[in-house]
Amino acid sequence: MSTSGVGRRGFLGYVGTAVAGAAAGVGGATLAGSSGRAEEPAAAPDTSSWAGRTIDPHGPHQPGVAATPAHVTELVALDLLPGTDRDALGRLMRVWTGDVEALTQGRPAPGDTAPWLATANADLTITVGAGPGAFGPRRLGAPPPGFGEVPPMRHDRLQERWNGGDLVLQVAGRDATTVAHAVRRLVADAAPFATLRWRQQGSWNGTGPQGQPVTGRNLFGQVDGSANPRPGTPLFDQTVWIPDGPWAGGTTLVVRRIRMDLDTWDELTRDEQEQSVGRRLDDGAPLSGGDELDDVDLRARSGGRLVVARDAHARRSHPGLNGGRRIFRKGANYVLDTDAGVESGLIFQSFQADLLDQFVPIQQTLDELDSLNEWTTAIGSATFAVLPGFEPGSWLGQSLLG
Amino acid sequence: MHRTTTRRTRRSALGALALAGALVLSACGEDTEPAEQSGSAATSGPEIVVTDPWVRATDGAEDTTMTAAFMDLANQGDEGVSLVSASSDVAGTVEIHEMANVDGKAVMQEAEDGVELKARGGQLLQPGGYHVMLMGLTEELAAGDEVELTLEFSDGSTQEITAPVKAFTEEEGQYHDHGSHDHGDDEKQGDEKHGNEDPEHP
Repeated sequence: MSTSGVGRRGFLGYVGTAVAGAAAGVGGATLAGSSGRAEEPAAAPDTSSWAGRTIDPHGPHQPGVAATPAHVTELVALDLLPGTDRDALGRLMRVWTGDVEALTQGRPAPGDTAPWLATANADLTITVGAGPGAFGPRRLGAPPPGFGEVPPMRHDRLQERWNGGDLVLQVAGRDATTVAHAVRRLVADAAPFATLRWRQQGSWNGTGPQGQPVTGRNLFGQVDGSANPRPGTPLFDQTVWIPDGPWAGGTTLVVRRIRMDLDTWDELTRDEQEQSVGRRLDDGAPLSGGDELDDVDLRARSGGRLVVARDAHARRSHPGLNGGRRIFRKGANYVLDTDAGVESGLIFQSFQADLLDQFVPIQQTLDELDSLNEWTTAIGSATFAVLPGFEPGSWLGQSLLG
Repeated sequence: MHRTTTRRTRRSALGALALAGALVLSACGEDTEPAEQSGSAATSGPEIVVTDPWVRATDGAEDTTMTAAFMDLANQGDEGVSLVSASSDVAGTVEIHEMANVDGKAVMQEAEDGVELKARGGQLLQPGGYHVMLMGLTEELAAGDEVELTLEFSDGSTQEITAPVKAFTEEEGQYHDHGSHDHGDDEKQGDEKHGNEDPEHP
């Protein structure tokens, strides 16, 4: 760190702001312990400002679905070995249940070969789902209503390496080391039953500079997810959770790996960028007015022209244009060095009670017309049914396999 | 305290422990920090809490007649106690073992005095350290199976625990090699591919 007067003053200016936020009891990264005068003793670090939470894995739903987006998310797909039948699948779920209960609480998984990496207060959630290959009489039985594959879209350029999978783990947490350790344990413990198919990692910043929760942005710089139903509301519940049957409390997940062409995006004027979505870049508010969380007014006109363009993403994905259909979306930004150069994009996760009746029609509307299609391309696609939650003493998938 | 632990209560007990900010697991086998029981009254005798038990799978192992159980034992009471024996329906013989240095070689042998759990102390049973040896197995143990174990302590108390069976990636050689055997087998099992654990990011 620079100790020159100028560098130091600038640095402390930021500290002052951050600590004010911490004093108000808001979480977030602060540089506690730095005082404005070198001769003063440093205060004890305010751990509340940087420690995350320990999230109870139990409940009617797997908590990773509705949880605030974590900083780091890994999506991991596995393929079942041919011999993994219903009985074996039940055994895998019991093993994973023990792992989930230990790791999310910061304890090593039983038999952990690197127990020092288990970390408490890491915002860690582990969410388990099953892909099309896990269903059928030999295995999980019937999928939930409306579960299936996403039909091909005109703009898709899918690569087999990012498609499909018989099982999925969504492992999300505060830091990539804790997340990677959890993934490593879960994959190792699945070895008798399933092999790794693909792994995708991305990041999301849902914390503002004063530690306040914010929606977060994708790599285009857009506030991304403003129209989401809010967890805990009736709208969220009816959008996301399967209401009844053996899958009650579960949901479905679509994972789309979306490549973004940042180079050509950066050639646009700010106005063109905002028109393509129908929202302002600085705060995510609809171009039709109001604040970020206000609804987009699709009828608003200015000088006879629609304020939110006919092909704007916010219009094309709006429930008003899709028979009231909604999804709950989460993102994870990625940058990957590939043989073909640097690839940037978004690991897009869509949760909905009925995949074929919610996600697919909305996606078809967007495939038909969406200004953003010029800069975004789906290069991977996979669908999963997310298991219902589990209570202490029971295990993941018990209602289906028990 | 005498506690009979079924799977259900074991899991709830764990939940409570975790919430109490409980066990700092020591992965090196030295005494573990006792769990702080905030607000609990002083206990009189030993009070043993078993956390995260597991049994090594025999599926695909070279010797399927024996395996071992591991767990974390914490004594939250004010008096020391020892784990002196154990039994299970799946094993003809169950012994408490320790790793000892014999002629410069690490070998497993029966722990004469069991596993000592000091007052407010504990001990991690783990591969390469103290463990519960299950011999003369009556069935093959596959990952995800569950094994019922009865632990017996020096104060006469017993605890029933349910331990999940897990595949283990470490080479099995030393835990199945009683020093009396002459094969120091280091071959990896077919299902122990390390390649799955840490794939290079594509």
